[in-house]
Amino acid sequence: MTNCLEVKNISKSFGEFTLRDISFTLPKGYIMGLIGPNGSGKTTTIKLILNMLRRDSGSINIFGLDNISHEQEVKKKTGAVFEPCFFDGEWSVARTEKNLSVFYENWDSALFSELLGKFRISAKKLVKELSKGMQMKLMLACALSYNAKLLILDEPTSGLDPVSRDELLEYLNAYISDGEHSVLFSTHITSDLQRSADYITYITDGEMFFSGGKDEFTEMFRIAKGGTDELTPLLTEKALGIRKYSLGFEALVKTESLYELPGLHTEPASIDDIIIFTAKRSENI
Amino acid sequence: MSNIRKCAAMDLSLVRPYVKTVLFFVLIMPAAFAAINRSLLMGVSFCACFMAMTSGYTFSISEKNAMERLYGILPVRRTEMVFGRYLFVALTGLAAIAFSLIVHPLLLTLLGEHISAADIVDAAAFGLLMFSIYTVFQLPGYFKYGSVKGRLFMYIPTGGILIILLIVHKFLKITGSPDLSEDVSALPLPASFILLLISIALSAVIYAVSIAVSVKIVNRKEM
Repeated sequence: MTNCLEVKNISKSFGEFTLRDISFTLPKGYIMGLIGPNGSGKTTTIKLILNMLRRDSGSINIFGLDNISHEQEVKKKTGAVFEPCFFDGEWSVARTEKNLSVFYENWDSALFSELLGKFRISAKKLVKELSKGMQMKLMLACALSYNAKLLILDEPTSGLDPVSRDELLEYLNAYISDGEHSVLFSTHITSDLQRSADYITYITDGEMFFSGGKDEFTEMFRIAKGGTDELTPLLTEKALGIRKYSLGFEALVKTESLYELPGLHTEPASIDDIIIFTAKRSENI
Repeated sequence: MSNIRKCAAMDLSLVRPYVKTVLFFVLIMPAAFAAINRSLLMGVSFCACFMAMTSGYTFSISEKNAMERLYGILPVRRTEMVFGRYLFVALTGLAAIAFSLIVHPLLLTLLGEHISAADIVDAAAFGLLMFSIYTVFQLPGYFKYGSVKGRLFMYIPTGGILIILLIVHKFLKITGSPDLSEDVSALPLPASFILLLISIALSAVIYAVSIAVSVKIVNRKEM
């Protein structure tokens, strides 16, 4: 299995925020979800990958090439979608294509037109006249028109209605189906991950919490439930986060710790559960 | 097409919706100044100043649209982006000066003024130098501080030129010499060409320094 993206021990500090020792690998032909609470470092990680921010340490290889020393080569094969749209609102869709296509030798105008048709975007419309969803699709159409092998999307679904989100996820799944294309996308909407991600990288407070297969991630944790009398000191110690109620509690525990906690009633943890409990592990929720 | 030209073309595309406003301020207004003051030098200088003032358009438009992220994903070096912007600004300045050097003499001749070839060459030299001085201060300011704070850099040459003119004017008055504009207009054609060559050389030097400063700023900048 060849890797499309390799991030090794990257760190970056600015002001009070520090991103520490982030490492993950995205194999070719897969979708990775980059998750974490607001301000956890998702966008910083994406900007470091795109060399929009300078890393303090570590290494980033895209298609086996260093993202700084081979920046142009790497960027010719990498597409990015950000929210909000990064095109001039006064540009028409056709003008946007004209301005961008000159930068890519392999720009496929026929494919671009086909994608506009598929996304129901008029070439005559101005970018500012398009809805958020349409603007996102336009950025996506641009990235696909030069056959970007790696798509990086920063919260692409946050401004989309359920139908557009569904269309986008369907498109991403089709995009990676040939085994040559890969997607890294950050999101808050975990149902999108449940549906399309193969891998998950979870960052919280600028630190790496997990990176690996999606199923492995959810299977690593369980939600323990019980009455207040069942909340033993050992469980409190082992729990990654506890939510107390008047009559009982809910706690996130690692599956591997369960053998130390016999008789505990547990249920599968969702990605949301894991994020909520771990993000608030220092707080008494 | 080189990446520098592609970046310059993108800048042109950014200001395209504002072309009418730019044309009015850069081409029509200075012509009116030239006609009212019956001075080619005045018309060309205003044209150069107004054109230099529009160099912030590309910065404010790209800031408004958060386009640093687009520049961040394009397969071009940051240095090429800087060169592209300088190329675009320089070309707009040259086009504006060229326009005023053609239209203003015709207009002034129609108004009964005598405009010699030496006057045109002098105006070209002065306009070019003025445009260069304005933009070499502005562009690094915009790259470093953005379109709002960077605008302050526009006033450095304005203040500097006014102070120099005031000092020269006082000096000429004290020494009893003729006025500066009379001195310039009295130059013979070969001397005017030397003045133009000096202006071109000086512009090239200060542009090179300004580009080097901007490249350094942009390479250190995080998007």
